[in-house]
Amino acid sequence: MPDPLLEVERLSKRFGGLLANQEVTFSVYPGEIVGLIGPNGAGKTTLFNCITGFYRPEGGRVRFEGVDITGWPPDRVCRAGIARTFQVVRVFRGLTAFENVMVGALLRNPNPARAAGVTRHILGLAGLSAYADELVDGLPIALKKRVELARSLATGPKLLLLDEVMAGLNPKERQEAVELVRRIRAELGITVVMVEHVMEVVMPLSDRVIVLDFGVKIAEGRPEEVINNPEVIKAYLGERYAARFGRLGGV
Amino acid sequence: MVRGKLLPAAALGLLLLGLIVFPLVVTLPYPQHVMILIFLYAMMGLAWNIIGGYAGQVSLGDATYFGIGAYTTVILLRDLGLSPWVGMAVGAVNAVIVSVILGYPCFRVRGHYFAIATIALNEIVATIFTNWEYVGGAVGIYVPILPESFVNLQFHRSKTPYYYIALGMLIGVVLLNVWVGRSRLGYYFRAIRADQDAARSLGIDITRYKLIAYAMTAALTSLGGSFYSMYVLYIDPTSVFAFSISLLVVLVAVLGGVGTVAGPVIGSIILISLSEGTRVLLGGTGRALDVAIYGLLVMAISVLQPYGIVAWIRGLRRPPKTREVKVAGPAA
Repeated sequence: MPDPLLEVERLSKRFGGLLANQEVTFSVYPGEIVGLIGPNGAGKTTLFNCITGFYRPEGGRVRFEGVDITGWPPDRVCRAGIARTFQVVRVFRGLTAFENVMVGALLRNPNPARAAGVTRHILGLAGLSAYADELVDGLPIALKKRVELARSLATGPKLLLLDEVMAGLNPKERQEAVELVRRIRAELGITVVMVEHVMEVVMPLSDRVIVLDFGVKIAEGRPEEVINNPEVIKAYLGERYAARFGRLGGV
Repeated sequence: MVRGKLLPAAALGLLLLGLIVFPLVVTLPYPQHVMILIFLYAMMGLAWNIIGGYAGQVSLGDATYFGIGAYTTVILLRDLGLSPWVGMAVGAVNAVIVSVILGYPCFRVRGHYFAIATIALNEIVATIFTNWEYVGGAVGIYVPILPESFVNLQFHRSKTPYYYIALGMLIGVVLLNVWVGRSRLGYYFRAIRADQDAARSLGIDITRYKLIAYAMTAALTSLGGSFYSMYVLYIDPTSVFAFSISLLVVLVAVLGGVGTVAGPVIGSIILISLSEGTRVLLGGTGRALDVAIYGLLVMAISVLQPYGIVAWIRGLRRPPKTREVKVAGPAA
């Protein structure tokens, strides 16, 4: 086993009386696609916010490439090589798709001409070339999400945290997004952790799945292991889904 | 070059030529004075544009830096005999220092603290200078009269040299704005304006970049103050730290169009013309009618064109971007 890229160790985050994350421990290895699932309010986004420095955890450590990054501000976490998207899309309104991605690309390419080259490449990869000069304000949600993903990709991360990039997409758009995530790993060699609700997406795409419920990690393993874990079924998936997924034999 | 770019370039060249020829044709001091004011406020509107327009942090106290530039220049000249150009540079450094001291605590927290703090700072600095004997207190300072020369930045027989200096400074600030807009700074400033958290997630140290934007604004505004002190040859706290200067600078930028280069220039042309025009036509009535009419006109423009004159001009030239966008798959 290679050294883990990301190690989360006994991470806890509290909001008043609510323990949003309770001693969560897991590792992510280079080149993996890891699915992070759980019912609403399970603490998935909180976990992302703790890793990326938007929240300061009350306890536990986060290590990236062996370096303790707990409590680092978000911009420093990004410069270290972790990029993210947001659950509720946060594109830069008033800027074009090209300009949005430029902001990301300028992190490792201070020269605007060189950053523009990177931007064009990433826009092409994300299937956004046709919308480069559109203001993002007017783009449909599927494209806004893709702009946000492209923008974070442009920062040249080693690890990409995707927060529900599939939510609100129709099946065709979803399939395109799945394809994009696969290409991000295959062509750019970027490790991906994705929070996702859509089981049809997360199961076939993930090498490993981590399940959170009420802030606690209740299961971890390959998708076919997790899907049959009784506790997971009870907490989240529903028995009907397990039956259907098992019959389809998707994994 | 594309034809679409050739026409604006030619228009810009003609405009520049017109501005260079203007004082040779119109030799009367008053029209030249109005033009100098337009240049000065366009320049300061463009300075505000960097923090307020690009970076989206509303500063309402730019007169602080106008006054710092003016006082630094005048005092270095009075006490050390230094050229106003040196004073200009030192004033800009002073302005940067003050802007960082104010900006650092403000930019670390969210909300409207910055806007409020800039007003407070404006008042505090004005009060300090009013009560500070060494800098002339409330009476102010008459600038020592020097022989006419470029080095002394004083000209007594004609306003024309001031006209060219102000024009040159404006051109410099215009070019700086254009450069900022295209550089990494400009992209980062606009990202901060649009969404601070998203900006941070992309590796942008937002406190640092807001400080850079504010320091640029402060330095450029202080250059305006230095120039003004040598142009008017008398400064006092009520004239250089006036809150009305802070407001006019914001108005110039907002009315013309925030975050654009042409906006503050157009805003300055309109506001200074309106202010001078109403004063000339109605100023003698003794009932402040000119100020009232001026206020009404400003209100009318704001209501009719809330996104600024530049947005209005663009709206006429090109249909709004509302065309249907179809979703295509990722490139194969």
